[in-house]
Amino acid sequence: MKGISEVSTQIGIGFSRHLDSQQAAREAAMQAKTGLRGADAACAMLLCTGHYDPHKIVPVVNETLRDPRMVGCSTAGIILSGSIETRGVAVLAIASDEMKFGDGFVEHIDTMSPPDVGTELAKRCLNDFGAHGRQVFVFFVDSRLKNISPLLKSVQGTLGDIFPVVGAGSCNHLQDKDAFKIYRDRVLTNAVSGVIMGGHMTVGVGSRHGWRPLGKPRTITGAAGNIIGSIDGKPAYNIYEQYFEEEAAQLRGRRSGQMAILYPLGIYIEESRNYLLRNAVDIRSDGSIVCQGDIPQGTRVHLMIGNKESCKQAARGAAEEARQNLLGKDPKLIIVLESMSRLKLLGRMAFQEIVKIKEVFGSRIPVIGMYTNGEVSPMQSTERFKRPHLQNESITILAIG
Amino acid sequence: MTTFPLLLAVGVFTIILGTVLILLLVSKTEQLSRLQTSLREMTKSFNDLDEQAKLIVRTDLELNKAQEELDKRLNGLDALQKTSRLISTTLDEEEIFKRLDQSLIVDLGFEKNLICVYDKDQALQCRLNVGFSPEDVQFVVTSLEKERSLTQALKEGHAFTSAASSKQAKESIIRIFDVEHFVLTPILTQNNISGILFVGNRSNASAITEGDEELVSVLANQIGQALENARLFEQAYVASQVLESKVQERTKQLALALEEVKEINKMKSEFISAVSHELRTPLTSIKGYASLLITGKLGAVPETVKERLEKINAHSDNLVKMINNLLDIARIESGRVEMKMEKCDIAAIIETAHDLLTPQMREKNLQWKTDISEGIPALVLDKHQVERIFINLVGNAIKFTPENGTITVRVRHDPRAAAIEVSDTGIGVSKADLNKLFDEFYRVDNEINQSVKGTGLGLSLVKKIVDVHKGKIWVTSELTRGTTFHFTLPFDPAAPVTG
Repeated sequence: MKGISEVSTQIGIGFSRHLDSQQAAREAAMQAKTGLRGADAACAMLLCTGHYDPHKIVPVVNETLRDPRMVGCSTAGIILSGSIETRGVAVLAIASDEMKFGDGFVEHIDTMSPPDVGTELAKRCLNDFGAHGRQVFVFFVDSRLKNISPLLKSVQGTLGDIFPVVGAGSCNHLQDKDAFKIYRDRVLTNAVSGVIMGGHMTVGVGSRHGWRPLGKPRTITGAAGNIIGSIDGKPAYNIYEQYFEEEAAQLRGRRSGQMAILYPLGIYIEESRNYLLRNAVDIRSDGSIVCQGDIPQGTRVHLMIGNKESCKQAARGAAEEARQNLLGKDPKLIIVLESMSRLKLLGRMAFQEIVKIKEVFGSRIPVIGMYTNGEVSPMQSTERFKRPHLQNESITILAIG
Repeated sequence: MTTFPLLLAVGVFTIILGTVLILLLVSKTEQLSRLQTSLREMTKSFNDLDEQAKLIVRTDLELNKAQEELDKRLNGLDALQKTSRLISTTLDEEEIFKRLDQSLIVDLGFEKNLICVYDKDQALQCRLNVGFSPEDVQFVVTSLEKERSLTQALKEGHAFTSAASSKQAKESIIRIFDVEHFVLTPILTQNNISGILFVGNRSNASAITEGDEELVSVLANQIGQALENARLFEQAYVASQVLESKVQERTKQLALALEEVKEINKMKSEFISAVSHELRTPLTSIKGYASLLITGKLGAVPETVKERLEKINAHSDNLVKMINNLLDIARIESGRVEMKMEKCDIAAIIETAHDLLTPQMREKNLQWKTDISEGIPALVLDKHQVERIFINLVGNAIKFTPENGTITVRVRHDPRAAAIEVSDTGIGVSKADLNKLFDEFYRVDNEINQSVKGTGLGLSLVKKIVDVHKGKIWVTSELTRGTTFHFTLPFDPAAPVTG
């Protein structure tokens, strides 16, 4: 049913930081609905920080927007056109008779093999999407899945590899709370949910990190999956000991802490002539480093360093790349998936990245986004096939035109 | 023969080739040696650069830590400033905690936050909670009550931090609040402890710093101050309500008493009026018969009897005068006197009184002075009644002024009234008597009053007459130096008062 606006695509974004979960959900959903000018939401994205009870939020948003296809997740922070919010509920609603959507989810992912998870998710989304032209696949995954590269391969294997896949690892600033995913009126943990977008639309994706290699290159001499066993023939952890000396012990704590975030490992990817960043999520007793994505053996690895200015420039670079990939079409919406590491690094200057993005797309462009625990996007490259990579510390900009 | 030159040529060629090869080998060896040297230098430079990178990383790590701390402090100060502004502008305790928005507390940068306040029974009540479940809060409150030494130290104003507390206290707090890093500080008001403020982080990555401790202390002080203000205001408000209630009750009682007084006064006036009328009739007969007897028309009257009859006559006159005064006062009080208001010249009224009293003044050789400002307009008044004012006041002055004294009447021009003074150089009135002079039947206890008869109603009557003219009267006096009666008479008592 078309709404009273009769306009082909309407976009509404709502946000609230009301203390009460239901009230916050109501306010955010109503704001988003207002932006649709009376049209019904075909698809929605719900993001909320860990301060809120998702079981109270999801039904309210779902009811207010009248059961749209809805995906989303918990986040450490919400990105908006005018601010960065570390507490609140944000809703993106899209009404369109040009764009098509198909959503799906998979639960209990820790009991399945990653390729099976990817295949199942892609199939479910495809079943719902139908036979329209696919433009982009956006998904939210539980960050406890430490190696999602096989999942990405199987997603592309099912959906095809000529359009971009972007994703975000859900996270929560409160360490004792589970990060959650949202699929329509359901709140899921240990799950992945996603949506295929297509139809008459154009998508431009850009991704950058802004970190630079530091010191001499080393060679990964032992790696299996997402675990780096040895570098230059020594236990992998030795690379941190060399650079941080006694400070490296912090990496062995309950949380790998600020250090792993600020100084990730950079793996040189020959085909894109760029560095793929990997955070150390755990250090094992044998000195091997557990990363979020798989590590190819024999590749060169560097310790990487970044700063506020390089982050801001990376944001601008990602925006320019996304704009370029829109192929001249005007953007209607910008979705930002950005590592929470950048929020930690930038601190009070985090909004400066959004300023850079708006310099590229114009100050009136609607922006919504989240701080993630791992980002999935094609790396900056000229390759035709947009092979998605799990990245850390990066900013991914999805421009929808 | 032909083979020799060939062999020679081959030999020479071989020698030359050998020499070249040897030279090449030497050259390559030297090149290799140089390359090895370069490689060694490059490796050394590379390692040097890597060492520099290590220095850069460590410096960067320190800078990042400083930056993180600075950001945290700035965020904390920002949140503190907002919180402070919000809670300092309300005097309602409930509102203080409503305004202590959880998000502001979260902005201070701690994972777990708890504010508890002591109730009237000295039991801790949770007023703000971030990061604790209801069961956690209950556990914290119960556990703190059991930790006597901890609560006692808090009540004495001691704060606890994970960085600087004793091992025992630290272990207790970590167990109760389930954190690794914390600040637990009392919320102090002026005289005692109002509650506790707790902030804490679970992870090692977010240790509490000295700056955090200061920040939390300032916040606790501000909450304490706001609570103190709210409670003082509550006390003052309750006290003012009680006082207001008492004032209303007393006002009501006074209004009732005033009504009673008015009723009694009215009854008194009616009684005096009735009694005076009843007294005057037989008194007229007494006086008439006494006068008749004195004339001798009813037969000769012996001289001693005549003297007694004249005394009866004189006392009767006094009694009539008293009764007339009483009747006048009663009439004025009850509004039964019809005032004949007309424009009059105040100087003429004064002169009439002077003429009337001149004989008495001559008897005591008193000097009469008048000082009347120019431009006094004609006053709207009851001429007969105002004459009585002057006759009474000047009569009193004559009575209490020794021989050769002076009586002065002054009239000044006030904005809306004539300000009149009647002063003498008489014996004066003590301060204790001044306030009672206008009371009915009050007579100052002095030698003159003991020898000269009076009713004690004259000044009371004067005050009533001034009052009905909407004027004011008061008296100043100094013993042995004289007395001055001041009174005002509005130019027109019926004119509306403006400005």
